[in-house]
Amino acid sequence: MRLEWMNLKNTLKRDMIRSKTALAVCSGILAVLLPLVLGINYYLMTVLIIMLVFIIYSSAWNFLALSGQGSLGHAAFFGLGGYASAILARSLELPPLATILLGGIFAACIGVLIGLTCVRLREWFLAMVTFGFAVITHTITAELSWLTGGWDGIPAKKLVPVTIPNYIVYEYYILLFIAGAVILTLYLITRSRVGLALEAIRENELEAKVMGINVTRYKLTAFAVSAFLTGIAGALEIHHFGYITPEVYGIDISFWPIIYCISGGLFTLEGPILGTVIITILSEGLKSFGWTYERLILIGVILILVVIFLPKGFVSIPNKLKSRLKSHA
Amino acid sequence: MKYAILVTVLVVSLVLAGCVQQPEEPAGEIKIGIVASLTGGASTTGLDMWQSAVLAADEINAKGGVKVGDEHMKVKLIQGDDETSREGGVKAVTKLITEDKVDLLIGGFSSGITYADSVVAAEHKVPFIITGASSPVITHRTDIDTSYFFHHCPTTDDYGESTTLFVDEIVKPAIYARFNFSEDRPLRMAVLYQDSAYGVGVYEGIKKTIEKYNLNMEIVAVEKFKMSETDFRSVLTTIKASKPDVLYPAAFLNEQTLIVAQGRRDVGLNTIYLSVECNDDPDYYTGVERWGEYSIQESRFGPYAIPSGPIRSAVEKFKHDFEAKWGAPPSMMGASTYEGVYIAAKAIENAGTLDKEQIRASLAELEMPQMVEAMKEGKITFSPDYRESKFELYMQQLLWDDAVGETRPKIVWPESVKETDFVLPSWYEPGSS
Amino acid sequence: MDVSFLIAILVWGLYAGCIYILLAIGLNLIFGVMKVVNFAHGELLMLGAYTTFWLYILSGFNPYLVLPLAMLLMAMLGLFIERLGFRPIMGTGKLNEIFLSLGLIYLFQNLAAFLWSTSSRSIRSPYSERIVPLGSIKLPMDYLIIIIITTLFLVALQLFLKKTTVGRAMRATSQNREAAALMGINVERMDMLSFALGSVLATAAGSLWVISGQMADPYMGSIPAIKAFAVIIIGGLGSIPGAILAGLTLGIAENMVPSLMKFLAGIIGFNMSFTAWKDTIAFFILIIILVIRPTGIFGEKGE
Repeated sequence: MRLEWMNLKNTLKRDMIRSKTALAVCSGILAVLLPLVLGINYYLMTVLIIMLVFIIYSSAWNFLALSGQGSLGHAAFFGLGGYASAILARSLELPPLATILLGGIFAACIGVLIGLTCVRLREWFLAMVTFGFAVITHTITAELSWLTGGWDGIPAKKLVPVTIPNYIVYEYYILLFIAGAVILTLYLITRSRVGLALEAIRENELEAKVMGINVTRYKLTAFAVSAFLTGIAGALEIHHFGYITPEVYGIDISFWPIIYCISGGLFTLEGPILGTVIITILSEGLKSFGWTYERLILIGVILILVVIFLPKGFVSIPNKLKSRLKSHA
Repeated sequence: MKYAILVTVLVVSLVLAGCVQQPEEPAGEIKIGIVASLTGGASTTGLDMWQSAVLAADEINAKGGVKVGDEHMKVKLIQGDDETSREGGVKAVTKLITEDKVDLLIGGFSSGITYADSVVAAEHKVPFIITGASSPVITHRTDIDTSYFFHHCPTTDDYGESTTLFVDEIVKPAIYARFNFSEDRPLRMAVLYQDSAYGVGVYEGIKKTIEKYNLNMEIVAVEKFKMSETDFRSVLTTIKASKPDVLYPAAFLNEQTLIVAQGRRDVGLNTIYLSVECNDDPDYYTGVERWGEYSIQESRFGPYAIPSGPIRSAVEKFKHDFEAKWGAPPSMMGASTYEGVYIAAKAIENAGTLDKEQIRASLAELEMPQMVEAMKEGKITFSPDYRESKFELYMQQLLWDDAVGETRPKIVWPESVKETDFVLPSWYEPGSS
Repeated sequence: MDVSFLIAILVWGLYAGCIYILLAIGLNLIFGVMKVVNFAHGELLMLGAYTTFWLYILSGFNPYLVLPLAMLLMAMLGLFIERLGFRPIMGTGKLNEIFLSLGLIYLFQNLAAFLWSTSSRSIRSPYSERIVPLGSIKLPMDYLIIIIITTLFLVALQLFLKKTTVGRAMRATSQNREAAALMGINVERMDMLSFALGSVLATAAGSLWVISGQMADPYMGSIPAIKAFAVIIIGGLGSIPGAILAGLTLGIAENMVPSLMKFLAGIIGFNMSFTAWKDTIAFFILIIILVIRPTGIFGEKGE
């Protein structure tokens, strides 16, 4: 009896891992094939590119949350990466693909500085500090008009020159490749000692300290990695748009990744991806039916319901269904 | 594995349903995309723009549509909600152009969003009549081909210019006559602007005008404030200390109301307050109460005053029809969007084809009579350099109306349309002599 | 900077401080009892202001008179939010509480924009043109009324917390939830009560603000809410005297700092406007405070 149970459990577990891998591979192949199957559809490509930007961004936000630090001002890093990249691409005549990396590094450096002020703070204080930091960068960016163009912003080089036919498809594949690389990297990091340490810190900082984990160092690492990836996401977005204005620091830009992560499933690799995909599709789909505020209200309600009833997000739905089926059987 | 396939299929079908559901376009229709904020901070204005466009399209269609070549085509409007965000704007414009295959775009409100989404229009070479965003940069920028953009609403330069000229022409002589100032004394103007593309733009417009016309004016105080600021008392005290003759705030409605009320009531800054056109709105007159009395409101289309002259009946008809259809009065962004649809129809009719390049050329050469807003020389036409139409802006003074218990605007400038003379209130205090 | 200006700043600061105090005390009551920071408190302010606005428009009464009814209605909303939103997630982690508040912010703002549009609404006070001369400065009657009403609220709250059984039970719950529960206090009822009170105070803050000239729109709550958080961070989480002191300080400092900065910059020859930097300076100071004292100035070490 017991043996049988163990077997069943193992099979289930193996099944799940296998189905997860299969799902990942399936969606990967699907993403690669999409433009080939559907032809070159500009709108779809645009939606997907913005979606991929936010997948990177949400995953980065989620990585910081892994260490128990919930930021309310990640737009600061999003915008800093974007501005650094746009300015460097313009003044140094570098291709955007190179400056994006530099933008990310710049955001990471600032991220470490902010991280230093945040490591000792409790959740809501950290939320306030990060929120305030976004306000500060917003004001300073607008003030430095000789560098940033002030409120009128500056043009940013396109990721792929518009003169190349079907450039948007190349942009899509670049985004897809970078997003894939980011997710793979995050997967490897969370699988490593770092991931375990971050989880330990999140669960109980004091215990983690007692266990000999250098809490400050890991928290700062989380900040640096998260800010770096967020900066890259921001740079990718503005090089796709071709223009940058201080609107990149908007409060909504700080909130979106949170909404995506919560709905998809916090602290998991697939949560931010799933959340971004589902909420984007929901929003765009309802929009095409002429819904305006109704869809935002619906998203708000979903968000609240998820926090209360589905704390592990959409990713936990299959498991929940499975356990319900099992208990019925 | 089964789940994986199931989920994948589900996702694919949803994506397809959400993104690629438009059928092939039926012939004989002009498709116009209206880019407006239907959600987010600017949605009141956005809704107004959409409703005005619908009214214009209905009117055109009721008269049999637009004659394109030999064919009569109906106008079909398609909504593009920019969600008051750059991402939303880019998605909406891309969808309108590539999915709905619109022949032309109209709208665009927030400058920051229009900078991003107009890139898409330029790339696909789709004519875009901008009827909301006030930044001149939109048609002046050089990083993209702006020859498809036509700016049909006054820019921040225009606001600054006409208001400053009005002050020089009307307010200054009134002050100088009462207080016996010598003509050499420069007029002392204070500027209090919103820290945004809009506020900075108005300030730049004032400076340019003083320089361009070589006006005897001095800007004695320049202060800026963060968007949605609510507490202006201390900054107004600083301004008062600089002894201005007039105060020009470049603010939105909720800020302007507080600036005027706090300035007059709390700080005792008894001066002439100027105001940018976007505040010519019923909510402003309700909110500013008696404190707004004698202040100056620049405008091109307002809820109360209608400039006399050739367009009067057209304005009355537009207001009446709009209210009958939507149950509320139109705003000025609505008025320019309403005209935008007519401009598009006229340009297409002149072009005689739906070819975008031809429509662009036709817009560039367009010359049509003014409609519900007074235009320079009475006609709508786009300047050859930056494709801006030139509005005849007018100035109103807010006077107390006992019947409604609020102030109401009366046009005081320019001479050709004025209803009454500018009054320098008895409580007015000039800056230092 | 002459004396009458300093007095004026003091009075304006007092008035602005009243709004922050009302909001911050509500936050602190909730935090004290439930150890939850309700980031959606600004949306309660906004909904409260709209409730008063609609009661005033529909009844045509003096807006100060409809305020109690608005407070009552909003108290019920507070109860609902606690019962249906926060109670189910109690003890599931601090981040979850922040996330729930974010969901509420998103929901309430969009609901308000959907129902009432984003137009700016104003309430006309019957006393809006009355001015009380106070020495060299002119004090609008409404400010005086607001200062008096806030003082009355504070006194009443103090009496409630100190003198009544329920109030004492609430304080006991704040001090030690487990012990209070063991003593037979129904701590869940205390949670609901704290939320209702917080909601009432936020309604008072929003309504009084709008009656005295501010305009109501769906997004009006975010800025005062953030300032109220700053107040409770500086004044100490859960501390009511701290909130009063910090609220007044913030109100006065906000009115003073831009002028002071301009004055100082003027001395070294810079002519610059600092009004747009108000929030930035405030957050900068907040960050420095938190770097030096991660628990806030008056914050206790524990928890």
